[in-house]
Amino acid sequence: MDEEIKTGDFVVPGDFLATAEEFMPGEGAYEEDSKIYSSRTGVVLVDARTKRISVFPRTPVPPELKRGDTVIGRVEEVRDQSANVHIGVLRGREDRQLPLPDLGVIHVSQVRGGYVKDLGREFKPGDIVRARVVNARRGQIQLSTVGDNLGVIVATCSRCRARLEKDDARLRCSNCGNVEFRKVASDYRQGVL
Amino acid sequence: MEKPEKLIVDGKRLDGRAPDELRPLKIQAGVLKRADGSAYVELGKNKVLAAVYGPREMHPRHHQQPDTAVLRCRYNMAPFSVEERKRPGPDRRSVEISKVAREALEPVVFLELYPRSAIDIFIEILQADAGTRTTGITAASVALADAGVPMRDLVSAVAVGKVDDTIVLDLTKEEDQWGTTDMPIALMPRKKLITLLQMDGHFTHEEFKRALALAFNGCEQIYEAQKRALREKYSVKPEEE
Repeated sequence: MDEEIKTGDFVVPGDFLATAEEFMPGEGAYEEDSKIYSSRTGVVLVDARTKRISVFPRTPVPPELKRGDTVIGRVEEVRDQSANVHIGVLRGREDRQLPLPDLGVIHVSQVRGGYVKDLGREFKPGDIVRARVVNARRGQIQLSTVGDNLGVIVATCSRCRARLEKDDARLRCSNCGNVEFRKVASDYRQGVL
Repeated sequence: MEKPEKLIVDGKRLDGRAPDELRPLKIQAGVLKRADGSAYVELGKNKVLAAVYGPREMHPRHHQQPDTAVLRCRYNMAPFSVEERKRPGPDRRSVEISKVAREALEPVVFLELYPRSAIDIFIEILQADAGTRTTGITAASVALADAGVPMRDLVSAVAVGKVDDTIVLDLTKEEDQWGTTDMPIALMPRKKLITLLQMDGHFTHEEFKRALALAFNGCEQIYEAQKRALREKYSVKPEEE
């Protein structure tokens, strides 16, 4: 416990890293009784400049949403100002379920580049969307679908619930011929997350 | 099996161990592909698998806690784990062990980081030879670390007891059956905080102190093996260690 911990050292949860006077606990580290210990299994990273000691995990860790992440979710409810989305998976971490909270919100201003008059024309409950995380801190996760590759990737007809086919800028139901609009992603119904 | 005349002969136990000796211990981390974290532990004839899932969405939703995650634990013995077939499913004993195992592991997990989520631990006893709850806790702790769940420390657990008026470490089934006392202990090795202590039988004050010291010693050995298992699986260059 007296030996100095250096960058690259392998640690497990509970291993002593440094004293709290020397360093600040970073990711994967915690402070207790003015000492810093590891909270996960991995390799130590000592940042002498910012005086931060952290543990880079070697084990798979629970996924965590950050700004800029791409997520796949299902539209639950569409209101005048916002649409609620149940976030299913974080892209790149499809192996593991997300811890809660898993509720995201897309504000009207974050749907597409231009002006959106009626949000109900862009999303409908049940649509599967690909969205980018704008803000993951405090409570609700704010999402955005601005961009060509973001938006609805699977949608169903609101009349007969059959899958909608892309028909130029619109979506057409092959079953009942109903025509609908969405903020679709460029690869709508291509089967990619 | 008949009760043997003596459980300790010339300071040696039935299986040839010294009173303060642990059974052969083998720990492996990350054995299950589909679990978020897992571990397999063999302690003598005990064979235990532990799997961890989560943190994940909590179902049923009304069990969610708005400020922390909830740790759920299931201890289960396979029907073939004991000599006489055990009726499958939870019984009084395994429900109790699930509860104490959960309480033994709860203090090390940073549950407050995952509000409204659940972390599930499954402890499956494949083969039992006394001390399955402690072996299960040892395995579950490695499985939690394997899942990358933030933890304050690992948890190491071992049983101590009294057999033929001798304090012994890590009882076997025969010693548990015909011995006078069995005391399973789980602790957080760094701060030596006890997270589980049960006792079946009697100890005098003096004996209790000696048994506790012996258990601390045993947990230390188990802790080293747990660390070694994680190191083996996750260290960057294992040949250089």
